[in-house]
Amino acid sequence: MATYARPVERLITELSKLPSIGPRSAQRIAFHVIRGKKEDAIGLAEALKEVKEKIKPCRRCFNLTEADECEICRDARRDRSVICVVEDPYDIGPIERTNEYRGLYHVLGGALSPLDGIEPEDLRIAELIERVRNEGTGELVIATNPNTTGEATALFIAQEVKDLPVRVTALASGLPVGGDLEYADEVTLGRAFAGRREL
Amino acid sequence: MSAYLRALRLVNFRNYVDATALLAPGLNIVVGENAQGKTNLLEAIAFNVTGSSPRTPKENEVVRWGADFTRTEARVALDGSTDERSVAIGYAPGQKKRITVDGASATSLTEYAAGGAGARVVTFFPDDIRVVKGAPSDRREFLDALLSSLRPAYARAALEYAKAVAQRNQLLRRIRDGFSSGRTLATWDRKVVDLGKTVLAGREAALPVLEEHFKDSLRTLYGPEKAAIRYGYSATLEEYSEALREAHSADVERGTTSVGPHRDDFEVLLGGVNLTTFGSQGQQRLATLALKFAARDYVREAVGEDPILLFDDVMSELDERRREYLAGYFLESTQAVISTTNLEYFDDEVLRRTRIIRISGGSILETATDGVRK
Ligand SMILES: Nc1ncnc2c1ncn2[C@@H]1O[C@H](COP(=O)(O)OP(=O)(O)OP(=O)(O)O)[C@@H](O)[C@H]1O
Ligand SMILES: [Mg+2]
Ligand SMILES: [Zn+2]
Repeated sequence: MATYARPVERLITELSKLPSIGPRSAQRIAFHVIRGKKEDAIGLAEALKEVKEKIKPCRRCFNLTEADECEICRDARRDRSVICVVEDPYDIGPIERTNEYRGLYHVLGGALSPLDGIEPEDLRIAELIERVRNEGTGELVIATNPNTTGEATALFIAQEVKDLPVRVTALASGLPVGGDLEYADEVTLGRAFAGRREL
Repeated sequence: MSAYLRALRLVNFRNYVDATALLAPGLNIVVGENAQGKTNLLEAIAFNVTGSSPRTPKENEVVRWGADFTRTEARVALDGSTDERSVAIGYAPGQKKRITVDGASATSLTEYAAGGAGARVVTFFPDDIRVVKGAPSDRREFLDALLSSLRPAYARAALEYAKAVAQRNQLLRRIRDGFSSGRTLATWDRKVVDLGKTVLAGREAALPVLEEHFKDSLRTLYGPEKAAIRYGYSATLEEYSEALREAHSADVERGTTSVGPHRDDFEVLLGGVNLTTFGSQGQQRLATLALKFAARDYVREAVGEDPILLFDDVMSELDERRREYLAGYFLESTQAVISTTNLEYFDDEVLRRTRIIRISGGSILETATDGVRK
C-alpha cells in the first residue's frame, strides 16, 4: 500500500467507512475531491455537517425531520387512524411515491435479528405500542422488508398488539421474496398496498 | 419437448483456454487420459445449464489459474425443432454472474437454475457416492437440489428456512448466555415452522414418486432384491410445531434447533439392508446411479422434459453386464455426455451410435461420429 500525506490518508480512511465503498473506491473518490474545485469540497463538507446538526428523528414516528415532528405527522390531511410500520426512514419514499397510502408511519430502526444481536428493545416497538394506545389507531400496516428478519418482525409486532383493538395487516405478496422494500418498483409496491392481508 | 446442447464453448474454464465441444443428441463419450479435462468439460456443461458448478461451492475455483474471469456459451437445441437459443454465462470472482439467454439477461439465479436455460441436467460425479455412503446432509442436499431445480418456490423456501434456523440457533445461544430474554422465541418458531413446512411438504410429496423410479432403476442395474427409500423424520408435518415447542429447553441448552427438515435423513435400503452402513462399494455406487436415474425420471414426469445426463467416469468399477445396461440407458436419452479413459468399455454397436470427443491437455482434439476406435 502506497502512503500519502496524512490528510489524504485520513480522507481515504473516513470514506472507506461508508457502506459499499471499498479501499479502491475510497481512494478514487479522495483523489476526485483533491483534483476538484475547493467550493465543491467545502459544499460537501458543509452538507455533511448540516445534516448531522439539523436532522433528527420525528418524536412521533421517527422519520427524519428538521422540526420536532416530520411533515407527514404534521399534515392534517393524512388519515391518522392508520400507521404503516417500516424498518428504515428510506422505506417511506418508495411508499409515498405509490400514492396509494395516506396514513401515518412508524420507523422501527431495523428488524429483529439474533445474528446481529437485535432484540425488540433495540427497535422502536414499545414506542409503537404506546402510539397505538394513545392515538386510537385502527389499523397497523406492517411493511417491513419481505425477507426472514422483516417477516419475523412483522409476526412479533402482530403478537404484541393482539390484545389491543387494532387490525394488523401486511403487504400482499407480489413483492420479490428475500428482497428489500427500497428496491421494489412503484407498481409492485402499489399493488402490494392495495391487496394487503390480515396478519 | 426436451432440449440438448449442440455446442459448448469454454473460455478460461478450469484447464481450458478457449475450446469448443460439438455435441450430438444421444450419447457423447468424452475420452482422454487422466488429468486432461474430461471432468472439467462435464462440469462446464452443468455450469452453463444450471448457473453454478455442481462440484464445488467455491466457484472461483472454476476460473482458469491466472485468468480473472470465465465464460461459457452454449447453443441449446429443442428436440425435433430447428430453433436454437444461445445461453452464456460470464463470471468474474467477486462479481455477480452475467447470464444471458439469446442476449437478454436472466432475472435471477434461482429462476435460471430452475430451467431458465431451456435445458436441465442430472449429473453424476464419482464423489456423489456420498449420497448413499455419506452423512445425512449429503442426502438432504440431493433431495433439495432436485426439488429446487424444478420449483423456484421450493428453492426459496429452503434458502429462507436455513436462514430462519440460523437466526433461531443464535437466539437460543443468546438466551442460554443471558443476552436475550427470549421474548421473540415463539416468533422465530413460527417463522421456522412456516418455512420448514413448505420444505417438508415438498419432500413428502416427492419421495414416494422418487422411490418408485429408484426401485425400477435399481432392479435393472442390480437385481431383483427389494429396494426402498425410507424418510426419517425428526418430526412429521402434524407434530412439527408441537415438537419444536417441546424442544425449547433442550434446544436452549444445546444452542441448536433439534427438530425440523434440516435434521431429517432418508435410508437407502436393499433387501432390507441399509446401504449407508452395510453396502459394498459396488452396491453403493449402483444405488447412487439408481438415485440419479430416479432423479432423471422424476424430472421427466414433473416437467415432461428429458434432462441431459452428465455422468463422469461412470463405467469404471462396474462389471460388464452393468456397463451394458448403462450404455443402453444413455443411448435412449435425449442427450448424455459421459467420460471415460477407456473406450474398450463400450462395444462396437454402442460406439457406432455415439459421438466421440477426444480431449488432451485442455484441448478438444477432434469429434468423430460413428466412433472409430483408435
Ligand atoms: N482452475 C483451474 N485452472 C487450471 N487448471 C485446472 C483448474 N482446475 C483444475 N485444473 C486442472 O485441470 C486438469 C484436468 O482436470 P480434470 O479433472 O478435468 O481431469 P480428467 O480428464 O477428468 O482426469 P481423470 O481421468 O484423472 O479424472 C487437472 O490437472 C487439474 O489440476
Ligand atoms: Mg475426471
Ligand atoms: Zn413523523
